[in-house]
Amino acid sequence: MIARVVFLILIAGVAHGQSKTNPPDFTGTWGPYRAGRGADPKLVPPPASPVVLKPEYAKPYEARRAAETEANRRGEPLATGSSLCVPYGVPSMMSVAVYPVEFIQTPKQITVIAEAFSEVRRIYLDRPQAKIDEVPPGYYGRSVGRWEGDTLVVDTVGIKESVQYQRIPHSDQMRITERIRFVAPDVLHDQITIEDPVTLEKPFTYTLAYRRMPNYEMVEFVCDNNREYVDEQGVVRLKVREK
Amino acid sequence: MAMAHHSFAMFDQSKPTTLTGTVTAFEWTNPHAYIELDVADEKGAVKHWSIELGSPSILMQSGWKFKDLKRGDKVTARISPLRSGQPGGLLIQVTLPDGRVLGNGPGRGPQAPAQ
Repeated sequence: MIARVVFLILIAGVAHGQSKTNPPDFTGTWGPYRAGRGADPKLVPPPASPVVLKPEYAKPYEARRAAETEANRRGEPLATGSSLCVPYGVPSMMSVAVYPVEFIQTPKQITVIAEAFSEVRRIYLDRPQAKIDEVPPGYYGRSVGRWEGDTLVVDTVGIKESVQYQRIPHSDQMRITERIRFVAPDVLHDQITIEDPVTLEKPFTYTLAYRRMPNYEMVEFVCDNNREYVDEQGVVRLKVREK
Repeated sequence: MAMAHHSFAMFDQSKPTTLTGTVTAFEWTNPHAYIELDVADEKGAVKHWSIELGSPSILMQSGWKFKDLKRGDKVTARISPLRSGQPGGLLIQVTLPDGRVLGNGPGRGPQAPAQ
């Protein structure tokens, strides 16, 4: 009887796109789940909300974007951190081109390893968040998570101002909230909301979708052959060899 | 989504160029792999080219293996050349000595797999 009830609960859980375990287990390797090519439109992430900066931040941001567009048109792209192999940090590392991410989940901690640049972040599940002013600014900040039903809610603070998502300016008061959950047995969503009372008029949200890559072996990524360099004008150039 | 390592704007994708030559090195490295190629003109003068590929992870997703090229191999490569005029470019596709044609990662070249 008990076995039958458990079985029915499991079936119900799977039917609702949930994991078979409580809490769900995100352990595994995940690649981007993209629209098209047979993808289920219901599992494709919803569109991002607009980024509305305060006027004093919007102006330089728009100017920088216009300069980037113009530089690309000229064929002289402007440098970014990644031109020099500086890692992306949180939240950008959660989605870099087609590179996978790996989740390693234990009861007290979830570790996320991004293949691109071998970035690592740790999400603590057994302790409270620190005060925002007490976290030394860095690439990954400090992340704590808690379960709300089948959703892992992750709070991150302490991202340094030079570590930007799509070059959107932020302050030391930025707070990132992620809601990670199964939307199908092998599809995860990470809904990312960024709040910043200094630079943003209102929070913005975007969602990443991942598909499970069951047999994938993560590839090492050590940036030891970077041939791009930045010239005096901030333009990225490629070193070519004489021989 | 964050972009892969850099913008491709430094390469002129409107001027595909074909190079036939001898591989002097195949570097299976990050953030990009490179084919180093000696190309001789009709008079025998040799010019050296550096050809950029995707990263090993991206290349493996489109059928490449680290042993697919080695020093001494004769290949024909189609590239988008650097706009600067320097002898370098971004790989479009390469014909290996065994006749296989490989591209430059998923969605870039002849062997883009279904995802």
